[in-house]
Amino acid sequence: MQILIRQAHLIDPQGPFHGSSNDILVTDGIIEGIGNFPGIKADRVIEEEGICVSPGWMDVFAHFCDPGTEYKEDLESGQAAAAHGGFTAVMILPDTRPPLQSKAEIEYIRGKAAGGIVDIYPIGALSMGLEGNLLAEMYDMRKSGAIAFSNGLNPIQSSGILLKALQYVKAFDGVIIQVPEDRSVSRHGLMNEGVVSTRIGMPGKPAIAEELMIRRDLEITRYAGSRIHFTGVSTAGAVALIRQAKSEGIRVTASVTPYHLCLTDESLSGYDTRLKVNPPLRTGADVDALRAGLLDGTIDCMASHHIPQDADAKEVEFEFAREGMIGLETCFSLMHESLDRMDLEDQVSLLCQNPRKIFGLEPLHIREQEMANLTIFNPGRSWTFQKEDIRSRSSNTPFIGKSLKGKIIGVMNQGKSSLH
Amino acid sequence: MIPANARLFRIFCVPLVPGMPLSVKHLLGIRDLTRQDIDLIFQTADNFKEILKRPIKKVPTLRDTTIVNVFFENSTRTRISFELAERRLSADVINFTASASSVRKGETLIDTVNNILAMKVDMVVMRHSAVGAPHFLAGHIQAAIVNAGDGINEHPTQALLDAFSIRERLGKVEGKKVAIIGDIMHSRVALSGIYCLQKMGAEVMVAGPPTLIPKYIGEAFGIRVSYDLREALAWCDVANILRIQLERQNMPVFSSLREYSQAYGVTRAILESLGKEIVIMHPGPINRGVELNSDVADSGNSIILQQVENGVAIRMAVLYLLAGQREEPAD
Repeated sequence: MQILIRQAHLIDPQGPFHGSSNDILVTDGIIEGIGNFPGIKADRVIEEEGICVSPGWMDVFAHFCDPGTEYKEDLESGQAAAAHGGFTAVMILPDTRPPLQSKAEIEYIRGKAAGGIVDIYPIGALSMGLEGNLLAEMYDMRKSGAIAFSNGLNPIQSSGILLKALQYVKAFDGVIIQVPEDRSVSRHGLMNEGVVSTRIGMPGKPAIAEELMIRRDLEITRYAGSRIHFTGVSTAGAVALIRQAKSEGIRVTASVTPYHLCLTDESLSGYDTRLKVNPPLRTGADVDALRAGLLDGTIDCMASHHIPQDADAKEVEFEFAREGMIGLETCFSLMHESLDRMDLEDQVSLLCQNPRKIFGLEPLHIREQEMANLTIFNPGRSWTFQKEDIRSRSSNTPFIGKSLKGKIIGVMNQGKSSLH
Repeated sequence: MIPANARLFRIFCVPLVPGMPLSVKHLLGIRDLTRQDIDLIFQTADNFKEILKRPIKKVPTLRDTTIVNVFFENSTRTRISFELAERRLSADVINFTASASSVRKGETLIDTVNNILAMKVDMVVMRHSAVGAPHFLAGHIQAAIVNAGDGINEHPTQALLDAFSIRERLGKVEGKKVAIIGDIMHSRVALSGIYCLQKMGAEVMVAGPPTLIPKYIGEAFGIRVSYDLREALAWCDVANILRIQLERQNMPVFSSLREYSQAYGVTRAILESLGKEIVIMHPGPINRGVELNSDVADSGNSIILQQVENGVAIRMAVLYLLAGQREEPAD
């Protein structure tokens, strides 16, 4: 199988072909040549005005629901959705049933996903049963391939447990991922607390629920001398705290979801359960702060927070609806539209180089005679996101029918290709 | 085909403001209503109130209309008031309460209501513990919906009857100063009340303990906020005293009822010290001796029983006007 990408703009900072426009010839999953190949008759030719190619992208926080709730997503459908969204690597949540809390579950994931077009990196459960009480066997899980540790969608509330976990993972320079939320403050809230929640009669989650947790976790991280990653950061105050912590040398990194970059709590006035997410949609000022945080490097990377839910989990009263939306397939477009002040090269870093660096993976580059691990995309192309386009098993997204800018053409990895 | 409104009018002459239907198909909240809608409801209620004073109080207006009262939360007064309004309009009435239903068995709201609607029901009056439940239902069923209270969000007919009672007592709502006092955070009466009073041109203040007042309420509505009962009473023409909703407080918000009544209980002594007369309202049921003392509740300042009476007329008006909005099937 020979695939030829014609006249692609290569975005590969520190790579040998960065900034060039070249043909890329891939034969049986190996990059055979980068240059000009006018006479070649490949099996598949990709040619499009404005096409870009970068090393394959990585998502740091997606839920593939396998094992346990495979009717929402499984490893196969999750990989298909990721590939469709331009990702060749995904870190998946431990919030399965049972949780990814021991070597057995980590090896199940690694084994089942091996050789797929999308590399799966399981995030191990920090605590047994994700209950936040007893530390899980993180050392053993690490040896089996867990890339980081987290309590997933139920962030660690106890300062003592978090301290022990942060100290524990220092043995192997591990990273703890937290969705920052002090549940004792936010417990009864259903959306961001503010003018909008007050007007529509909804109990709110105040921004300080997130900021208190970040403040606390930063102090614990400083004390432990360990590494923490906040994902789903959503408030202006949170961005300011992380910026300050970085300047003080605390080993903190952060990621943001695509929907927090473009949606606000104003959109909840119709009680649309597709917009029920956690951390909740915040205000316009928060959106601006998140974008600024990406621009100045306070926030290091994107995180899809791809959380599939079946129709029954969403087609209920807002209070009873489950949280989350799918996000892998629209991640790039939403980010790209939200960051019109950022260079494309820097945008790609948010999806490619930065997450790999944070979680200790080798940098990827586009080189001849190496395995093609590529994302092919067209940042200038507008498209309409249709329900039929969704590869995820679930379709809980508010973006169906929306016109978006920035289209994924396809990915290649592990000798396989997924081209639209 | 004759428009439903005109047909109803012909069957039984409730005088209407000609050619002015409501701007909504459901009554989900006061938030969605215009000032004209509220005026129309009040004018219609005036007529029904007149009818309710006659020896024969029942009119055949909704004779071929079936209404189901779906109450997922306990309610005695609101349900009885709606039921009476429905029966006075000659509607067929079904009552459905959650405690005796399949909801406990895990049936979804859509399934529950669709099962009822399969039996050819025209209107749904619903109370539900979840904010936005009637809005959600409105997107899934054909029948007209009247929100009889959704969580801590809205209770529109209560706000309408409150404003209607103020208008009756003081001649108008516009320009009046109304203080809503008590548990603002957990009260659907407060939110609907603010919307309704503001749309009618009244000035609004909310007062109560800081733990029971939403942080952003002043900013959200441009209203005054006070933590001082005396200040609120001295400012207002009308004080709407809310029931302390013990059942909705899932967090400690004040130490004890005793302490609450010391700080926020309305007593005769406080009212007498104001040097002016104010109107006292309460949506009921009263916790006597907690938010309101008996010597106030039963005094000439109180219009609490008039509120109850007006509730029937307001609910008749709402049901009547929404029934008129429904499309009549072609003959």
